[in-house]
Amino acid sequence: MSKKVLNVEDDVDITTFVSTVVEENGYIPIVAKDGEEGMRKVREERPDLIILDILMPRESGIKMYHELKMDPSLKDIPVVMLSAVSKRTFLRSQTALTEFGDETVPEPQAYLEKPVEPGDLAEIVKKILG
Amino acid sequence: MSKLLIIDDEEGIRKVLSVSLASDGYDVSVAAGGEEGIEIFKKESPSIILTDIKMPGMDGVEALKQIKKLNPDAEVIMITGHGDMDSAIEALKLDASDFLNKPIKDEALSVALKRAEERITMKKKLEAYTYDLENMVRMATEEVKRRSDFQHKLITSSNDAVIAADEKGDIIIYNRGAERIFGYPRVEIIRKMNIDKLYPPAIVAEFRSGLKRRGDADLSKWKEVAIVAKDGGVVPARFSGSILYGVDEVIGSVGFFQDLREIKRLQEELIKSERLAATGQTVAGLAHYIKNILNGLKGGTYVLNVALGKNDRGKIRSGWTMIERNVGRISDLVLNLLAYSKERKPEPEDCFPNEIVEEVCALMESKARENNIKIERDLDPLIGEVFIDPKAIHRSLLNLVSNAIDACIFDPTPDKHWRVKISTAVEENHLIRFEVTDNGIGMDKETKGRIFSAPFSTKGERGTGLGLLVTEKIIREIEGEINVESEPGKGTTFIICLPYQEALKNVKGLQDFD
Repeated sequence: MSKKVLNVEDDVDITTFVSTVVEENGYIPIVAKDGEEGMRKVREERPDLIILDILMPRESGIKMYHELKMDPSLKDIPVVMLSAVSKRTFLRSQTALTEFGDETVPEPQAYLEKPVEPGDLAEIVKKILG
Repeated sequence: MSKLLIIDDEEGIRKVLSVSLASDGYDVSVAAGGEEGIEIFKKESPSIILTDIKMPGMDGVEALKQIKKLNPDAEVIMITGHGDMDSAIEALKLDASDFLNKPIKDEALSVALKRAEERITMKKKLEAYTYDLENMVRMATEEVKRRSDFQHKLITSSNDAVIAADEKGDIIIYNRGAERIFGYPRVEIIRKMNIDKLYPPAIVAEFRSGLKRRGDADLSKWKEVAIVAKDGGVVPARFSGSILYGVDEVIGSVGFFQDLREIKRLQEELIKSERLAATGQTVAGLAHYIKNILNGLKGGTYVLNVALGKNDRGKIRSGWTMIERNVGRISDLVLNLLAYSKERKPEPEDCFPNEIVEEVCALMESKARENNIKIERDLDPLIGEVFIDPKAIHRSLLNLVSNAIDACIFDPTPDKHWRVKISTAVEENHLIRFEVTDNGIGMDKETKGRIFSAPFSTKGERGTGLGLLVTEKIIREIEGEINVESEPGKGTTFIICLPYQEALKNVKGLQDFD
């Protein structure tokens, strides 16, 4: 059974691109266009990897990442961020969110800044999914 | 052995007693009468006084009175004789310690003295004990007060709301943090309001079940709640609480609320500033936008190549569509830039404004439908054919409707029925009024102030920041006016007023002009 990769991203060009790379490397691509749909698809499809954008309308990647890591049944799914937002800024936002919480949120498996070469994306996906 | 004073008018008794008692180890003073006795008492402060009752001058009872005034703890032993009963009773009332009957027997004397000594010792012990006790109580009280002060300061200075209630739920502690979050001043809450009324209903239910039975509620984990403040506003907060138990019974409850408004505001600010930094604020922003288009093209060619290699028609289509779309974006961008930078002469002609509106709606229909947004029209039938610049109307309305749709897409409010409405109306002074209204995310005052004056986009990577600038320029060039009304969370309305003229074909005398 091939592994499933969920791409949460509102830009159709990016999802087409990512889906092609995913398929080319033998995995099954799933897409969602915002955080809301993303969380739904995570629960329905149980992907083996999530590729997550940050700047999206209707529940940003920041909120979705936080939600994923706070849910005991979902927090172990590896997440790769793919965004134009810099890694430093993203991590700062996570710290701000968890300032009053009980646990800190772990860093994502990998952080890719757009634009990304198909080869680089494929390498990270293969490294995580094996 | 204590100091002792003998007051007796008979020298014989004075001598016998003083010798006997001195040999017992007492430090003895003698006085022949009451007045002398008082003088010596003041000087020597004996703790035991033996005084005869019947004496000339000041008698024993009067001496007793004076001594007791000077030292209420002095042990005064009255020496009574025959017929002294009344005096004896009076002496008793005045707190004489003991009585010795004349003639004084040794044994009686020593018993009386012993008892007096014991009483003196007891009194001293009691004094010391009381002093110690009072000291300890004072220190304990200070400690309690210190801790209570400390706790009080903790509670008052805490930024978070600290609310404690008794076992009935009536609120007894309500700090400044609570005032800030809930909006009610202390005077309206302390002993006046119950947690039933103040807390959000979900929390009340948990507290009530916990107050009834121990262990029924786990309120200790931080939970996000929405608090309805006094003014009806909703405050996002985090809550944690506890039921307080005495030995066996519930004695009350405590709740802590953290104001999340600041955190949420910071979160939004963070995203906003990243968006601004990443997009259409400057030439760098524009370059970023173009970079995105190039990436789209690169992505498209990658997909296309993969597809050609496998002869996968579906993928070929996908890849080619990506390329087409981005070529379209480039051309839009170039047109916008040109429109922005060049002066444009108005190009009015006979046309139907309502038809232009329909064209724009048709162009935007699929994007709207994809995002569950309904496009409505409210077109004034009195507007027929007029002489006005159709390209200007088309470009402006296209920009406004596209923005309106984006405003709905970017609105995080769940369960809204998104609507974009375009309306036209004839106004006095040969003006046509176009309105584009949405019920999307809306703009705050600050944003409203900037949209027409500088490249500025709230749309992340998709915004060039140029759209409204170009629109405003176009409207200005045909001598129209554009205004905006908006309320954050509720929606926005853009209003364009354009002057028009009668359609040329309807104006007599101009038909043969060209």
